Amino acid sequence: MSHDLSVMMLSWEFPPRIIGGISPHVFFLSKSLAKNGVKVYVITCDFPGAPAHEVIDGVEVYRVDSYKNPSPDFATWVYLMNMNMQKEAAAIASNLGGQVDVFHAHDWLVATAGIGLKHIFRKPLLVTMHSTEMGRRDGTHTANEKMIHETEAWLTYEAWKVVCCSDYMVQHVKWVFGLPSDKLVMVPNGVNSDIYENIEKKEDLKSFRSRFALPEEKIVLYVGRLVYEKGIHILINAIPKVLQKVNAKFIIVGSGYMKEQLLNIVRSMGLEHKVLFEGFVDEKMLINLQKCADVSVVPSLFEPFGIVALEAMAAKSPVVVSDTGGLSEIVDHETTGVKVYPNNPESLAWGITRVLLDDHFSMLIKQNAYRKIKEKYNWEKIGAQTKLVYEEVLGQYSSSFWA
Amino acid sequence: MRAVIFSWEYPPRIVGRLAEYVSTLAKQLAQNKVETYVVTYHDFMTGEIKEPSGVTTFRVTNPVRTHIGVLTWVLTLNEEVERATANIYYKTNQHIDLIDVCDWHFIPAAVTLKNALNIPFIYSVESIEDQRSPNPNSSFNMAIKSIEWLGFFEARGVNAKSESIRTEIIKIYKVPPEKIKMIDPNNPSWVKEKIEHYKAIVGGHGIDES
Repeated sequence: MSHDLSVMMLSWEFPPRIIGGISPHVFFLSKSLAKNGVKVYVITCDFPGAPAHEVIDGVEVYRVDSYKNPSPDFATWVYLMNMNMQKEAAAIASNLGGQVDVFHAHDWLVATAGIGLKHIFRKPLLVTMHSTEMGRRDGTHTANEKMIHETEAWLTYEAWKVVCCSDYMVQHVKWVFGLPSDKLVMVPNGVNSDIYENIEKKEDLKSFRSRFALPEEKIVLYVGRLVYEKGIHILINAIPKVLQKVNAKFIIVGSGYMKEQLLNIVRSMGLEHKVLFEGFVDEKMLINLQKCADVSVVPSLFEPFGIVALEAMAAKSPVVVSDTGGLSEIVDHETTGVKVYPNNPESLAWGITRVLLDDHFSMLIKQNAYRKIKEKYNWEKIGAQTKLVYEEVLGQYSSSFWA
Repeated sequence: MRAVIFSWEYPPRIVGRLAEYVSTLAKQLAQNKVETYVVTYHDFMTGEIKEPSGVTTFRVTNPVRTHIGVLTWVLTLNEEVERATANIYYKTNQHIDLIDVCDWHFIPAAVTLKNALNIPFIYSVESIEDQRSPNPNSSFNMAIKSIEWLGFFEARGVNAKSESIRTEIIKIYKVPPEKIKMIDPNNPSWVKEKIEHYKAIVGGHGIDES
């Protein structure tokens, strides 16, 4: 296949290494770009059992030994990992005879590698800001948080274009880093709905469901890290209010520093028999849970995009989300889901019961939601949109003194 | 010959003995018709200056102002060292013969530049972490040692300033003895020896000795 342009993507996670949302994002985006005629090289961290180099649907993936330097803390590890990533990426780009048109970094975790490569090869750098330290921590309070924030600011300063996955994030990033509007571009995140088509037969799902809930119990599903910004504590506080009206089982998937605290709250409420903490689960189990869920809840306080809501919509599970960040854009209230007040257990309980008590409404919103994700959050379209951004940047670059 | 020296200290910034060493080396290299650049750090006096001695200095600062330790400060500063060196490279018809990295701080930049642009480097060792630190096996010090190791591994040649440092490098980092050249800066002919080492690294071309 001949290629119009080539991109080197830097990401600290790529399957099978999955830490958060960047991994699936880079995986599907890179495959879609390759399908759109872009030559894609992904430079990422290593993972036990994963090859150092492989080609996935035309995407060349290089995994770098990222744990060879002892590190006193996470942030120092990140910068040391960047040192190793940059060294490998430099060698690969050099062997290609400089045939890399664009460097594309994902988040501050690969900032220094991307910035250095830009200057050494004199090629444009793009960044996708998936989140910000300011948003994650609700401000910057410690030296560590300030350092990460300043690294993010530096990265967005060095980038030719800053890509965000929602209009909310565009405004947030513009405000946090004081960026000019013409530097920002919105390209949505996507969801791979195909994986939800190949699930187990209905009878098997019924048996799967019975492992978690009684037939008369509705399933309320939460998928996400157990951290403050995800608002899981709001859901826990809403549980008694929901149970006053509906018999339900609450399944919590994910882990995080709030787990012990949340378990104690559930215990103190005497609701251990109604709330299941499942921790991390494998992909098949997650998909089955999403298919079985009578409602999926995303109660985030800060949410740059809200991929969990999209995945639930692709699994045809009705969604209740807090009206914040990217979630506000994904869900149309009472059409493709229910939006509730953020940080408000009463409002969240209302939204959950609104869905669980009205089967007709539940059916309607999940059908609408599925249609929306097929139309708007389709990776093939997102790859084409991203390619257009690269082409625009390269057009501007061609008249610069670096070209 | 065109040489770029990396040093985290250079007058007026003086932390230890390295500043004076680099200053003397750079001036004498320039006198010996080596086109000499020094890429160094200064908090605010940034940019390129052609000194009366003929040495061109390129001072950079760190765009990240808040840090949790010297390691994060050093590792981020390396990107600016790369930027400065890339500017020299593109301004000089894409040709730098050699980089001389003085101590561990800017080894990451030298390693990337070697891999990206095929510029060889010499690692000039003022001291090593095992000598500097009372607890060289903490994760912090081990991280610095891992950067030193990277420098020894990737460098085309190593300069040690004394026989004792040379012995320590061989013992701790298992560097082949023939890779390390001992050049004592107390020896009156040390700069001449440095130039000879440079010549050996780049293949003996480029220095006008007339």
